[in-house]
Amino acid sequence: MRAFRVLLVHELRMTWLSWTTWASWALFLALLGTIHWYAVLACSRTPMPWTPAEAVFRWFPLPLLCILPLLTMRTFAEERRAGTLGALLTTPASAFAVVAAKFACTWSTWVVFWASFALFPLIASEALGASADPRLLDTVTLGGGVSFIAVSGLLHVAIGLLCSSRTRSPGLAALMTFVCLLGLTVSGGLIDALPSDGWEWLGWMKGPAEHLRTLGHLEDFASGIIDTRPLALYLTGCALCLGLTVVNVEAAD
Amino acid sequence: MADTALQPEHALEAARLTKRYGRLTAVEEISFSVAPGEIVGFLGPNGAGKSTTLRILAGRLLASSGRATVWGESVALNPTAAKRHLAYMPENNPLPEDLRVREYLELRARLKGVEEDLIELRVDQVMHDCDLRARSTMLIAHLSKGFRQRVGIADALLANPRVILLDEPTIGLDPHQILGIRDLLRSLRGKMAVLISSHILPEVEQVCDRVVILNRGRIVAQGRTEDLRRDLLPTPAHRVVAACSLAELETAARSLEPGASAAELGMAEPGWKQFRLTLPPGSPARDNLLAGLVRSGLRIREVAEERGGLEDIFLAATRRDAREARAS
Repeated sequence: MRAFRVLLVHELRMTWLSWTTWASWALFLALLGTIHWYAVLACSRTPMPWTPAEAVFRWFPLPLLCILPLLTMRTFAEERRAGTLGALLTTPASAFAVVAAKFACTWSTWVVFWASFALFPLIASEALGASADPRLLDTVTLGGGVSFIAVSGLLHVAIGLLCSSRTRSPGLAALMTFVCLLGLTVSGGLIDALPSDGWEWLGWMKGPAEHLRTLGHLEDFASGIIDTRPLALYLTGCALCLGLTVVNVEAAD
Repeated sequence: MADTALQPEHALEAARLTKRYGRLTAVEEISFSVAPGEIVGFLGPNGAGKSTTLRILAGRLLASSGRATVWGESVALNPTAAKRHLAYMPENNPLPEDLRVREYLELRARLKGVEEDLIELRVDQVMHDCDLRARSTMLIAHLSKGFRQRVGIADALLANPRVILLDEPTIGLDPHQILGIRDLLRSLRGKMAVLISSHILPEVEQVCDRVVILNRGRIVAQGRTEDLRRDLLPTPAHRVVAACSLAELETAARSLEPGASAAELGMAEPGWKQFRLTLPPGSPARDNLLAGLVRSGLRIREVAEERGGLEDIFLAATRRDAREARAS
């Protein structure tokens, strides 16, 4: 436990002292700010069935695919390249403590990124003053969306760490994470999108794929529905990925 | 430091350690031990299995069979407990470039379980011992090779471990730095058990109490240098500078010891030649060789016994191993 605490403090410190974290955060806010800005403009022209915050959360695969790999790529790949991971494991710190500390640090950073998105509705609401639509500061959507990001982020960050532990190249780790997250995010929708003729033999996959519909999970969370099946998916997926990462780290030279 | 009441017989023990990578056997049934406070040199040519053995002992690699213990704790069965007694400096000494020297040492001290209120004191102590105080606020990325090695050794000393494994600790250092590290290692004698893997044989000879020589994954010799010299280099040789021919020297030497043989090494200076004179093991002529040769009428300027160094012992041990392998 002591090793985990020491490593977590160290990881948090190094993460927030690194310019890449701040650059990623700036990119993240620029991306979400732009989407929010256009959503606010669209809502101000024509009444829409969605709020600007909902619009931003529907675009969540974009920052997931572009920003999260930047956060996870260096976690293990950089240390494996430099050889410092092996040196770290010669101390009484176990591979599990190392993985858990890096995971907790990256996951909390990812949640902080998303929590900071709440600034945009606040700024827009303050700027518009009394004329602001109360739905602009839709706390249920904001809270539900960030909660979903936090829960699904367990699996997404674990995938990023697993990819980073497989290679010594941070660039390759980012690419692997991008491909895995893309597969996870779009696979549910892809099966649904298949034409009915000629693809009947894939029909058995529709049931399992239904459970992978990430955007469906997001909508449920944002509307306050807590379905335990996606929770189980994200938690078990996270545990599996972290377990494999521990194995990789123990075997890392 | 070690509690003598609970002090085990061996600070470090390898018992029939074997490591195989598929069909390749990197280390085969090697057994040796290091007593508490003893400094042992671990020698062998490239690819002999030294680093593999050190990595097994440090818990970074699982052995295919055999047992490794550190201060009585099994490295494989109880790695966390074993690592509490152990410090390991790997060959290339990888360090995080983006930390400052003090930051790095403080982090390592915390990870090694040094008590929070003692960390500053311990870090100051090891930085003093390793002459790092002037560079405590420098980024590790800006340190020279020598100072990076010192940071590695300082890290190894931080938690006052019972056992230290050093893989090539002086590689890439200049002579001044080597002397400094050598003095530092000597100062550990009696305090910690140290296993040093090195290619620099004179260094091992000067610092270590015993040596273990590895060749092709097997131990070919181990013991005190003096014992190995007696065992592996039984034939004492003498360097003789004389104003005579090889035949004259051989005749004179054989009058003292019939089994003596000589070889000419070349001209020492005009009029004086250099020879190597070899006597059979245990020859009594060795005790008064100079007087005997002078009595024979030869003009002798110098007679010096050539004591085989660790280099000769190392070569003799590896040659003997190769001969035995061919014979079997």
